[in-house]
Amino acid sequence: MHTRTQGPALIAVGLLVAASGALTGAGASAQTTSAEVTGIGVSIAFTDYRLDWMNERAREFEEAHPEYEISVQGFDDYEALLQSVTLAAQQGDPPAIAQYFEVATQEARDAVNSEGEPLFASVEAAIDGRTEILGEPVVLDDIVTAVADYYTIDGEFSSMPWNTSSTLFYGNASIMEAAGIDAAPETWAEVEAACDAIMALDDAPSACITWPNHGWFFEQSIAQQGGLLANNDNGRAGRADEVQLDSSEMLSFVEYWKSLADAGHYVYSGTQRDWDYTTNSFVAQEVAFILTSSGDGTALVTDGAEAGFDVVASRMPYNGDADYAGNLIGGATLWLVNGLSPEQSDGALAFMQFVNNPENAASWHRETNYIPITNSAIALLEEEGWFAENPYASVATDQLALADGSPAARGALLGGFVQIRDIMTLAMEDVLVSEADPAERFEQASAEAQEALESYNSLYAEE
Amino acid sequence: MGVEESIRRPSKHDELRTSPTPTTVESSPARWRGRSRGLRRPTWPTHLMLVVVVAVLVGPVLYAVLVSTQSNNDLFSFALLPGDRLDDNWDVVWNERQLGRFMLTSTVVSVIIAFGKVVTSLLAGLAFVYFRFPGKWVVFGFVLVTLLMPTEISILALFRQVSDLGWQEAGPWGLPPLGLTVPFFASATGAFLFRQHFANLPADLSEAAQIDGVTPFQFLFKILVPLSWNAIGALLVIQFIYGWNMYLWPLLLQPDDQLVQVGLGGLRNADQGQAYGPLMLGALLASIPPILVFLVLQKPFMRGMAIGRDK
Amino acid sequence: MYPLLAAAVLAGALVGRRAWLRAGLRGVTGMVVGALAGFVGPLAVMNPIRSCTFDDERGGVDRALGILLFAGGAALAVGLAVWIVNAVARPAGPRAARDITFERGSFRGHRFFPFGLLAPTLVILVLFLYRPMVETFRLSTHEVRTTAPRQPFVCLDKYTRLMEPTIEWWAIGPAALLAVVLVANVVLARRGAVAPSLRKIRDLLVVLVVVAWATAVFGARYRGVFTTTLVLTTGTVVLSLALGLAIATLVSQKIRGRGVYRTLLIWPYAISPPIAGILFYVMFDPLVGIIGNVWETLTPFEMPNYRTEKWLARFVVILASVWKTIGFSILFYVAGLQNVPTDTLEAAQIDGAGPLQRFRHIVIPALAPITFFLIISNVTYAFFEVFATTTYLTTGGPSGATTDVMFALVQAATEQGNFGDGAAQSVILFAMVLAVTGWQFRSTGRRVTYGR
Repeated sequence: MHTRTQGPALIAVGLLVAASGALTGAGASAQTTSAEVTGIGVSIAFTDYRLDWMNERAREFEEAHPEYEISVQGFDDYEALLQSVTLAAQQGDPPAIAQYFEVATQEARDAVNSEGEPLFASVEAAIDGRTEILGEPVVLDDIVTAVADYYTIDGEFSSMPWNTSSTLFYGNASIMEAAGIDAAPETWAEVEAACDAIMALDDAPSACITWPNHGWFFEQSIAQQGGLLANNDNGRAGRADEVQLDSSEMLSFVEYWKSLADAGHYVYSGTQRDWDYTTNSFVAQEVAFILTSSGDGTALVTDGAEAGFDVVASRMPYNGDADYAGNLIGGATLWLVNGLSPEQSDGALAFMQFVNNPENAASWHRETNYIPITNSAIALLEEEGWFAENPYASVATDQLALADGSPAARGALLGGFVQIRDIMTLAMEDVLVSEADPAERFEQASAEAQEALESYNSLYAEE
Repeated sequence: MGVEESIRRPSKHDELRTSPTPTTVESSPARWRGRSRGLRRPTWPTHLMLVVVVAVLVGPVLYAVLVSTQSNNDLFSFALLPGDRLDDNWDVVWNERQLGRFMLTSTVVSVIIAFGKVVTSLLAGLAFVYFRFPGKWVVFGFVLVTLLMPTEISILALFRQVSDLGWQEAGPWGLPPLGLTVPFFASATGAFLFRQHFANLPADLSEAAQIDGVTPFQFLFKILVPLSWNAIGALLVIQFIYGWNMYLWPLLLQPDDQLVQVGLGGLRNADQGQAYGPLMLGALLASIPPILVFLVLQKPFMRGMAIGRDK
Repeated sequence: MYPLLAAAVLAGALVGRRAWLRAGLRGVTGMVVGALAGFVGPLAVMNPIRSCTFDDERGGVDRALGILLFAGGAALAVGLAVWIVNAVARPAGPRAARDITFERGSFRGHRFFPFGLLAPTLVILVLFLYRPMVETFRLSTHEVRTTAPRQPFVCLDKYTRLMEPTIEWWAIGPAALLAVVLVANVVLARRGAVAPSLRKIRDLLVVLVVVAWATAVFGARYRGVFTTTLVLTTGTVVLSLALGLAIATLVSQKIRGRGVYRTLLIWPYAISPPIAGILFYVMFDPLVGIIGNVWETLTPFEMPNYRTEKWLARFVVILASVWKTIGFSILFYVAGLQNVPTDTLEAAQIDGAGPLQRFRHIVIPALAPITFFLIISNVTYAFFEVFATTTYLTTGGPSGATTDVMFALVQAATEQGNFGDGAAQSVILFAMVLAVTGWQFRSTGRRVTYGR
């Protein structure tokens, strides 16, 4: 009976495989402090070439500061990162630095560890007025204005800015030329006119323009028009406890978007936050224009060249009927975990400054097209003629420099922002796909967002 | 988890049914074959229909094989011939995204879970069938009720509990995180399977064993287990696949060593923007182990679930 | 709340007395035990939530839920008492209990040894199944987020927020019909006539009414989720069973290579739900999908984009799920078809019944136990596993068209870190599972024992 040998064989195979599991060692980014070396854990939400870049900087820092050991851990997305960091903090073993994205700034400030202490410490407070830490010059006061405006709260930086982008317009130069469009459209009306011209071509693409259905685009448009999302000066004069998603500025944007869709100019991928679809469509020349993050610039230009067309980069189109207030930043910052020993804290701060020093900030920009975060970095790049060779690279920086510093242009500081973004994109999807009436649907969304904010505040706000 | 229910239900039937278990099927005469005996009908229509059905079932996978060799441009132009990007796609999947690591972790975790469930279920089956103890039917009911409470229902609370224990971190001796294996060691399905199976064995077995002065453990391992390879094999297949297919739990837990179904998600954005080739290649690679296990252990699987007998 | 308590105690006393008398015991004991159960049960349920649903500022829905919980607690406690009495009082015990205490030459002299054997199973079940279950109920009444400094108690707000009962014509209609049928049944019974078809209609109407009223209870937001779950579940189950049976019939015929066909039909079961989602995601992709290409080549129409068309999205999700699970149904139907009694079939054929009639009246009833089992398996799959497919295939679908209960709950917990909402939705899902299981047991459980 062959089953007699089959059984033991099963067990043998199983044990063998299980034993090979001993080879799956894991490396958690834990803090270790041996007598000589202080360990610094860095958690970032990149798993591609950006993670590699960070690892290279970590090795360089270790060479300059042999008493420190930096271990960088990459995550697929910010949610996974925050979960890992909070759990690690609960077990008393958190990393020193955690990257968290811009709209989660309020949540990061409110976050509390298992002892009830704030999870993160203020970076500027930790720097405490020093001009250099462990030999690394402090670059905090050299940060580009728009970025400083966003991340300065109550007059100080809670976190260290790092990867920053803005929303840009990219156009397919060949199609634009064929339709007789000399310059990229700057206002909403110009976009409509350009699309009319393009779609009238004989070999018109299947649609004119697309962009991901993501909260960022709503926030940008409202900021451009000088509108506010939340009370208390967009949450910057005091904690925001009222959010409004059906302001006139929001509805103008939604209706403009809807009219583009109705005219067949705007195509929706069907999935919210679908960045890849938009860039793929653009590269495949299914659309002539896209709005996307400046961080995608290099890839678009390269892929476009490969596919045989030039790419034009320009500012994000704005509402010509309103006074332009400014575009927002996007991206993330590096937060310093609270409760570290002085050596760890200094090492972490020094690493943050190192990563943003002029050479490194310039290198980061060159590789990823995130904006050069300090003025010295911009100067360096200008000197080497980088912007002259790559005109698309300076568009984001130039656009951000146009902001007027008002609360609208600085962007909202809001709790539960992620959930509120989801509410916005779901409402928009209903408008695009289910023919919902914009005013009604966004009024409903506004109520939902208010509820979400109140839930959030009931948890985090001081009583 | 849905497949777990598959084994348990026949056992419940068997309790309610008055007919004997299907061991007698083969020997019974005249089973319905969908056609009256003696009538000659052409079989080619049936073959044709079955081939069409098989083609539909196999089609997506064949398409995946094709796409794994192509680049995005090939896809945009709907090329029907294999492309030349297999190496590049493999590089993205295996080296950049490290799918191999996820697959290894999944393999180890699935094997551990499968064997864990078999062991606890064997012990439970032994206890229910070969021992008398007070409150037996209360305990039985206690285990039975859990069939109505699949893990998914309380998964959020379970996540909080397990992460409080710190079990999302790598386990001792390089084993996978405990949170991926220990909570799943018990199996009501398995307990029922073995209970049913042991109950169908000849009564004199244990009597003879007791006369010989055999201890319960010796009885279990030397006598019962060798008679239960089919049931064990069936349970192993089902639980291995259950472990391999785990998606929600590792998604929530975010263990230090992640499992393959969640790891596949990383391929969606691989290679700087959506690349379909690596995505399909990864999906295919991640399907090979469970299919292999299923094919290799097909016979015990079918027999263990008391189906698939035909002449 | 006190009048409610008095009512519960009284009801408990009456029911207890009747149950005790039926079991051949003294009615007074029954009254006392029943009254006690009627007192303790509701309090046990209301205590954890501190009877908050009866606070002054609470609205109608809260009170209704509160009364429901109250009654539920009483019913559970009294029912438990009755069940114990029945099980213990009957000398031989129910047949199932006898089967359970089934012994085959037990090992003697090992008092606590069996508990040791059962310890691993029991410990794991208690720690990782029962305990989280209880905790889920607790979480559903609090506002819980991972990094929050506190967890405020919010009573049943997480449930009432999802509920906005409205009176809809499609809920009233079936209810009215059901009332008519019930009355007709009673009238006919009085007259001694029996109408089995009326009973079937009644069962169907009961299901319709329950589903319609449940949908009407939920507010606009959750109603969509509930409806989506219904659509996806029904679609998957019906298609999987119907097609599975058809294919099983084909494969059960006397043809060569039957075993090979069987293996070729079953293997998709080894594919995971996420991978099924990935495969169909690429196949139906609006830009590069092969299905769109084939469709546009063969027909003059443009292939609609399943990511923006709600019903197409649901169809594709159902398709992917059926593709993956149909092998399972085929497997069990093949086994079931082998057990269909030929003597009845031959008798019917002699009597002149055609193949379709034979199929309908003999084969299908004979497959009832398998169908029962497959319905439960497929419903379980649809509730818990389709979510993994939708995550990769539609991420919740255009405008929430493929967001089912499981997806919504996971979204609440992962995207928003809102464990309180997620827990409340888990409890609703649990109620749905119990409802379906109960329904299947009631309607088909009786027919599971077939005569030989």
